[in-house]
Amino acid sequence: MAFLDNSGDIILDAVLTDTGRYRLAQGNGSFKIAKFALGDDEINYSAYNKNNPSGSAYYDLEILQTPILEAFTNNTSTMKSKLLTIPRTNLLYLPVILMNNSNVNSAPSGSSELHLVCVDEDTVGRKGLEGFLVQSSGMGGTGAASEKVRGFLNGFQAGSGVGAQQYIQCDQGLNTNEISANAALDSDLYETQYIVEMDNRLGAIVPMAGQGANQYNVAGVGGVVTAGTFAGTAKVSFVDDDNIASYYFSLASDAGMISDLASTPSQSRVITGPQGTTIQFRVQASTELQTSTYLFEKLGSTTSITKPSGASQSVRYIDSVIKVTGATTGYSINLLVRYIKSII
Amino acid sequence: MATTFKTFLNNDITSTKTLLHEAIPITGAIASGTYNKGGATTDTYGGTNIKNYAAGMFQSVYDYPYLSSSANHIFDLTVGYPSGSVLSGTAATTVQQAKKINLYNQMAQVLVGYDSTGSIRDFDEDGNIVAGGKKLKECVFINFARLLTKDEIKKGSFTLKIGTGSYATPFEDGSGGDGILTIKDSNAANNYRVNSPAGEYAILSATAGYNKEFSVAPACGLIFYQAGIAVLSSSIFQSGTHAAGVPTGRGILSSSDVPYTSTNAYFTASLTGSAISASCNYFRNRLYDISFNNTTELNSTIHFCRVNHNDFNYSSNPTYLSASKIRVKNNPLDAPISYFTTVGLYSSDNELLAVAKLSEPLKKDPTNEMTVRVRLDY
Repeated sequence: MAFLDNSGDIILDAVLTDTGRYRLAQGNGSFKIAKFALGDDEINYSAYNKNNPSGSAYYDLEILQTPILEAFTNNTSTMKSKLLTIPRTNLLYLPVILMNNSNVNSAPSGSSELHLVCVDEDTVGRKGLEGFLVQSSGMGGTGAASEKVRGFLNGFQAGSGVGAQQYIQCDQGLNTNEISANAALDSDLYETQYIVEMDNRLGAIVPMAGQGANQYNVAGVGGVVTAGTFAGTAKVSFVDDDNIASYYFSLASDAGMISDLASTPSQSRVITGPQGTTIQFRVQASTELQTSTYLFEKLGSTTSITKPSGASQSVRYIDSVIKVTGATTGYSINLLVRYIKSII
Repeated sequence: MATTFKTFLNNDITSTKTLLHEAIPITGAIASGTYNKGGATTDTYGGTNIKNYAAGMFQSVYDYPYLSSSANHIFDLTVGYPSGSVLSGTAATTVQQAKKINLYNQMAQVLVGYDSTGSIRDFDEDGNIVAGGKKLKECVFINFARLLTKDEIKKGSFTLKIGTGSYATPFEDGSGGDGILTIKDSNAANNYRVNSPAGEYAILSATAGYNKEFSVAPACGLIFYQAGIAVLSSSIFQSGTHAAGVPTGRGILSSSDVPYTSTNAYFTASLTGSAISASCNYFRNRLYDISFNNTTELNSTIHFCRVNHNDFNYSSNPTYLSASKIRVKNNPLDAPISYFTTVGLYSSDNELLAVAKLSEPLKKDPTNEMTVRVRLDY
């Protein structure tokens, strides 16, 4: 997209998005504009210079000179960050959402920011076949096992069987040391609803509600892998034309996924100030990823990943992003997810 | 409660209709077959921009060799006359007579309609069908592509200039003068007809200024605005007295380039002695230019995005915070400041349906209010 001409009057370049055109074409009344939001995707607030010696009129000089791109028609490519309405003007801190990497069950793999989703049984591992979540020889206690499979998710039977305790967790609150973590987060900054967006071709969200009691199963030779009951995927709110599925979760109706962060053990917190809420979920690989290599060949590549036993395993992989947005505060975070399929 | 959306109220959305006009100039160089060097089907430009079809019913003019995907269809040309024409009935010596009659009837039934008996009416010179009067019988039809006319041709904007000199020098009158005849829908914005089944139309007349023979502007065709079709009477090309009596003009097919004797080398002779495509070729050779304004009817919905003083003063932009602290504030008493570059219009289920970009960032703080007017055209 080109930049808009900003040499004269302020102009407005308005277009329908691809989703807007799609809904218009459906002709079923689903194209109805009901509300608006303001976005500031191009703005880099770090360019706000509160120490400009020329005075306050010059603090935002660089921001106001920011050239603006033409409108994108792809609905998922714009309005990444929205302006926020909070009636109070005396706020100095706003909450953020962070991926929880201190809890071994939700931390990403190694030192990376990646969660690795094992898409089929061969990748997960089963009796007699070592995988990323099942080892053919003993691995010791549960704690040690969890550390070894850190960041690996069971995308074959999410929430059941091996790796059932592995999930993704995002925490919300004021991430500052200047306010005590014991202080309560203001109620208007307390996030009660989350929107999770992900590529519907690759996987689906599995809610934490119905989480099985199965813990990591150390499957030695002749050991037993306990298969739990797959809890089922969460209900998709809608899937747009780019195959991006949106899920809505709220504290009121999805208590198994969203909970008060202040009640969690302090040693597994990543928010250093007042605590808000936390959202936990698992990822189930799509049937296509489980049964086919088509999307891996089209969207991904191959690499080698070290299994918990230390052995190297060749895998096909697809890197994707899961976006978690606080519906109330608008803050969002992109989580990196790698779908892996062992090359057997 | 913090929120990122603001719901539209009933008085925040209104609709309006505007007419957008574009000037469409079509130069004769394109119509004459600029890309058709020496009549070759392929040349350095990739072929001709004039397309003929196996059925031979009409000819298409493109702005570029039509085999290229860059080519745009400009207009189609064809000719015809009714079975009641003086030219009809000479089937033995007339080329494609049935097709010419069929074409005239097809155009007439769409643009003029039927009489009470179900018979197709002829084109009427002054549009007064009931009173009878002179009929346009031997005609050239110019069917403009919708790409150019859009919703309709703007009334009073149509001008066609055509050379009525010899075939070799069509834009000269043979005595060193100007041989270009200008045909317009003069004053059509205030004087047009509505008795066509195909919409509104007006009378085309050959304006004064061509030469001595047109001291008054005789009617010589019809222009149908919504249909985007110009119907030209062959009378504009004729030398001497036409069978119908008027008007007179200069013959356009008097060159040795055409296979007719000087005694019948007029347009009517072309209508009987040549195929439709050949008649179209002769016409294009004399086309100086065409210009008109098109009209696009824009139905717009205007959304007034009212941003009050206490709205949208904070941002969820990741750079807005440093360790959760707002960058643009030093202490809680400082006013929050935000800047916006985009307006997103959403459905009730939070799907982004339309997006509008400002040409520069706008500052928002509690001391100002604004209304952003977003217009969506359909």
